[in-house]
Amino acid sequence: MRFDTIIIGGGLAGLTAGISLQKAGQSTAIVSAGQNSLHFFSGTFESMLGMPPRVVDLFAEAGIHLHYTPGVRLMSLGTFGKAFLALEDTDLFPTEKFARKALVVNFAGFNDFFSSFLAQGLEKQGIACRVRLIHLPELDPLRQSPSEMRSVHMARILDGIWEKVVQEVRVLIKDEDAVILPQVFGLQGADIPMKIRQAIPARVVFAATMPPSVPGIRTQMMLHRRYEILGGTYLMGDEVARAHVHDSVVHSVATKNMDQHFLTGDHFILATGRFFAKGLASTPEKVYEPIFGLDVDYSPDRNTWYDADFLKYQPYMRFGVKTDPQLHPMVGGEPLKNLYAVGSILGMTRPDLGSGAGLAINSAFTAVDNIL
Amino acid sequence: MSQYQEHTESVHNFEECMKCTVCTAYCPVLQVNPLYPGPKQAGPDGERLRLKDPYFFNYALKYCMNCKRCEVACPSGVNVADLIQAARIKYEQGKPKWRDRMLASTDFMGKMARPVAHLANWTTSLRLTKSILDAGFAIDKRRSFPKYSMRTFEQWMGHHHKEQAAFPEQVAFFHGCYVNYNYPELGRDLVKVMNALGVGVQLLDKEKCCGIAMITNGMSRQAEKNALHNVEVLKKAVEGGLKIVATSSTCTLTIREEYPHLLGVDVSEVKDSLMHACRFVFERLEKGAVLEFRDDFHLKVAYHTPCHMEKLGWGVFSERILRMIPGVEFTLLDSACCGIAGTYGFKKENYEASQKIGAKLFEQINTVNPDVVACDCETCKWQIEMSTGYKVMHPISILAQALKDND
Amino acid sequence: MNPNEFDVIIIGGGITGAGTQRDCAMRGLRTLLIERSDIATGATGRNHGLLHSGARYAVNDAESAEECIRENMILRRIAAHCVSETDGLFITLPEDDLAYQQTFVERCRAAGIGAEIIDPALARRMEPSVNPDLIGAVKVPDGSVDPFRLCAANMLDAKLRGGQVRLYTEVTGFIREGDTIKGVHTRNLQTGETEDYYAPVTVNAAGIWGQRIAEMAGVRIGMFPAKGALLIFAHRVNNVVINRCRKPANADILVPGDTVCIIGTTSTRIPFEECDSVAVTPDEVNLLITEGAKLAPSLSSTRILRAYAGVRPLVSADDDPSGRNISRGIVCLDHESRDGLKGFISITGGKLMTYRLMAEMATDAVCRKLGIDKACETAETPLPGSDERSFEAVAKSIWEAPSTVQKAATFRMGTRASRLKENDRYDDALVCECEEVSVGEINAAIERLDVSNLTDLRRRTRVGMGTCQGEFCACRAAGLLAGSHGCVERERADLADFLTERWKGNFPIGWGDTLREAEYTQWVYKYVLGI
Repeated sequence: MRFDTIIIGGGLAGLTAGISLQKAGQSTAIVSAGQNSLHFFSGTFESMLGMPPRVVDLFAEAGIHLHYTPGVRLMSLGTFGKAFLALEDTDLFPTEKFARKALVVNFAGFNDFFSSFLAQGLEKQGIACRVRLIHLPELDPLRQSPSEMRSVHMARILDGIWEKVVQEVRVLIKDEDAVILPQVFGLQGADIPMKIRQAIPARVVFAATMPPSVPGIRTQMMLHRRYEILGGTYLMGDEVARAHVHDSVVHSVATKNMDQHFLTGDHFILATGRFFAKGLASTPEKVYEPIFGLDVDYSPDRNTWYDADFLKYQPYMRFGVKTDPQLHPMVGGEPLKNLYAVGSILGMTRPDLGSGAGLAINSAFTAVDNIL
Repeated sequence: MSQYQEHTESVHNFEECMKCTVCTAYCPVLQVNPLYPGPKQAGPDGERLRLKDPYFFNYALKYCMNCKRCEVACPSGVNVADLIQAARIKYEQGKPKWRDRMLASTDFMGKMARPVAHLANWTTSLRLTKSILDAGFAIDKRRSFPKYSMRTFEQWMGHHHKEQAAFPEQVAFFHGCYVNYNYPELGRDLVKVMNALGVGVQLLDKEKCCGIAMITNGMSRQAEKNALHNVEVLKKAVEGGLKIVATSSTCTLTIREEYPHLLGVDVSEVKDSLMHACRFVFERLEKGAVLEFRDDFHLKVAYHTPCHMEKLGWGVFSERILRMIPGVEFTLLDSACCGIAGTYGFKKENYEASQKIGAKLFEQINTVNPDVVACDCETCKWQIEMSTGYKVMHPISILAQALKDND
Repeated sequence: MNPNEFDVIIIGGGITGAGTQRDCAMRGLRTLLIERSDIATGATGRNHGLLHSGARYAVNDAESAEECIRENMILRRIAAHCVSETDGLFITLPEDDLAYQQTFVERCRAAGIGAEIIDPALARRMEPSVNPDLIGAVKVPDGSVDPFRLCAANMLDAKLRGGQVRLYTEVTGFIREGDTIKGVHTRNLQTGETEDYYAPVTVNAAGIWGQRIAEMAGVRIGMFPAKGALLIFAHRVNNVVINRCRKPANADILVPGDTVCIIGTTSTRIPFEECDSVAVTPDEVNLLITEGAKLAPSLSSTRILRAYAGVRPLVSADDDPSGRNISRGIVCLDHESRDGLKGFISITGGKLMTYRLMAEMATDAVCRKLGIDKACETAETPLPGSDERSFEAVAKSIWEAPSTVQKAATFRMGTRASRLKENDRYDDALVCECEEVSVGEINAAIERLDVSNLTDLRRRTRVGMGTCQGEFCACRAAGLLAGSHGCVERERADLADFLTERWKGNFPIGWGDTLREAEYTQWVYKYVLGI
């Protein structure tokens, strides 16, 4: 099958590139070995220092509304992290003391939301806190399976009875000016969390739970849908096994599912992520990129890959494929002329493009601009 | 040390599980049945416990539909569904119920029903019969049964094999139970399309049921027998220089993937030669073959990707050939399971879950309101027709219908 | 009666201390056990988990071998829920001397160890993962044991009989009157409080740290820390213990245990200062994988879960301070006869397997000093939770149709799992999905088993010991602990410590799936949870 551009990897970077290229009239395919890291997304885009209209428009056209509020976000353990750009239903505050009093509400038996940590973290910031549990019989069927009281399963039920949840919360509020709820609403869209916000007479903050992330699933679903509406071909659950490269030009790729039916394209984008997503692989002796054998920036001495303190920055998080200024990765120092590396596979080799979500989006746009 | 730990291997890749829980978000069964432990617990988590002691095997694994959506979603490449089915094969004790045997023995039932097809069809449509089957065998009385054909597809081919053999290029057809006993029209459509491409169709040398229902109903030894037989039959075709096409997405997946992964039957000599008919057609068209279509063909088509087609990754071929038919107004339905999962949805204990699982799909079909739903899987067809009232046609049949008749 | 007065004080919460406390308590003594950290943090918690048949020592140390096999049989009876009767193989590879096998079998039999030469083909059927190139095999009654559960069960039994335990309490000095030890000065490391305890006899069961304890009392024991490194693989590759049939050397035992298997071990002398911070070196990792793959070739492509190391408390057999004669045997020192110091006994050396015998020796010595004439009954009396029925039978006797969670709890807790029968749906929820540990089981551990932090909890329930290494469960468990002791700030620090402790064992083997898991865990804890 032939496409103008073939994108290997269907995460944030891959989808951003795919949507942009389809919109510009190209025919593209995304090959994705399973669902992506957006499933653990907390709702904020790190390292997006501005709000470029391009980014906002791309998401808005997919039905995802972002807001730019430089400040901090509330994290699951009651700590705060810097953030600038976030989803509609993810709050950002100018400072940590965003309320006088807060009511932390959890659902009875939901162990993936840490209300006691949240409460204590808020109290440290001078916000007086109460913690209350809501017991909803509609959630009881979930409890029959010891392991499946998860955010996503709860959201499926709670999205259907959100008005009841609102009622219960309203009964619990005393004089708090903020209510903290887990991110267990809005699996299909942000409308239900927004409605909940409007219906509760206090600032409603949705705080992240253990994975999977409901706003994350929703975001990737909407981007995926947007990509397909634009005519993109999303090959889900498939993996590139081999690439055919001659004279530093990629001609086609063979995937596990398509086997002999090669995918040919003029341009290729490698957005396969890092170790978790298998964009980079490691053995006791080396770190390598498994599809093209690209040059990787890493330190050969394995002892230097780690910091013994788990909380400190881990050196291996820096590793990434080397690229030239146009984002072409290289084999033996020679750039591959029609291949672009975008997203977290770049590690920290391109500090000019940021990190995390910022890196994914910025590098994807750079590659798209170079292609068009 | 360089020869050690370059990569790791484990049965069905269970050790690559990162515990990310993405599979549980996409399991259709978990959405409606809280008794099911979920793919993560049933699969990679459960595997470590089962290795500790077989007593840890959980009989609730029978609620797994084998839809493979967990595998499609897994970012680590764990064959979650295979782990679950393999565990069932290995640890489930006790003989399968009569009901399960009946539902799984499609060759047998087909042969029995054919000579009395009209009677059988009439009988199974009666409320009385359904109530008896419900009370006596726990086959839900709300489920409709597929109709049997008076004449099998193989019988029809018997009358046409000479004319087919005259084509310069030949392809073998793994028709499967459904086409043979219930719906030979699809087989005839396949022949029509192949002929339009200049390819003649021939039968394999006595194929047997692919065995998928046997695998999931505790009859894996019988399935293995069928598998070994089918692979021999396919090998003969391959040695004769033939490619083999199949119209059923499930038969295709079963032979290519379930045979080696679950039954330990080697398919390396035949796998690359067996493909789904829609992929075959697409590849021909891509290479320059031309099909002539009617000018007056108009059809609003909504394509539903069967779960097993989603796992094969070949829904894109069906999609493409439908899109390129002039006169087709095409909609791609959201990826969702129809809920029947083969024999699963016939069972009383699963019926409600099946219908709940398929509800979103049915709703979308109603909203789109197509003339016809296109789908490559026969059991999806029964489910969608019964649950929505819309007609379901195989993409090959739609293609056949759209072709200009050259007489 | 002064609440700080006891009949015997035992220093050290490893298996030797716990076993001694149990034996003393069974003989009617009022006992106090003092441990500076948590249970089983020394060699007890850092070994193979091998229930020796003793075969390994049959050729060179017949006495140890005899002790082992006797204790092996006893532990199967009294600690059934801590022991897995797996059997073991001693295999001869093409590069080994097959003639050794004959000597080996003869010495085993002489020591009372049932050793049976079997055909290599039978060995391969018995244990499919074994190196198919083996040219000889001997079957022996090896097994595996969970040292944490064993230790906790001994301590629980002592407590049920009135014994008291002070964890996270350090002995800072001895109360000495002339030539008699009358008690100990202690400091609680969590609260900083100091406390004195009194007893006519004190037992030093502090493992390798026993040398320092003895010095504090004014006597000298020559001890030699010998570090051993081991690797845990992510799943149970073998079901039968696999040993090399040759003179004992490095990394020639592969032991299956619960959901994993362990290869070990090495032996390196280290200075005392390093005892509290042993780490596994890359060379040790290489050696363990290379040698392990000779026992079971699939290990070279099996995911490795953790690397860890422990320190053996080796003792000089005589009073030779140069340590030329190092004994692996049991050393029971009555300091009155040896050094003229009354009221003080040291029990050390030995191995996990022979703890009960060590405890018996120590308790005999204690009773002699106290003038008490009671026989030891620890060999006949089952530990709490132990039952002669299979764990399947026990589970079915508690719940008619046990769920997976209930089965897993019974596997760990034995008959004590019946406590969980009161559990409601909330308590059945899983905290650790890899090892199937429920809220109920954790609450039971917090209530009865002196849990202060996540690492303590891990030792008693296996939370965090699965392939995710705490990724999911650590946070959930932290929430439960914060609820029980009421201090969230402390639990935050605990969570960070727990994750760093897990990481310590992951990064020496930090490649492949381990690195993937680590990256994911970093992501979840730093960017989602905000630790």
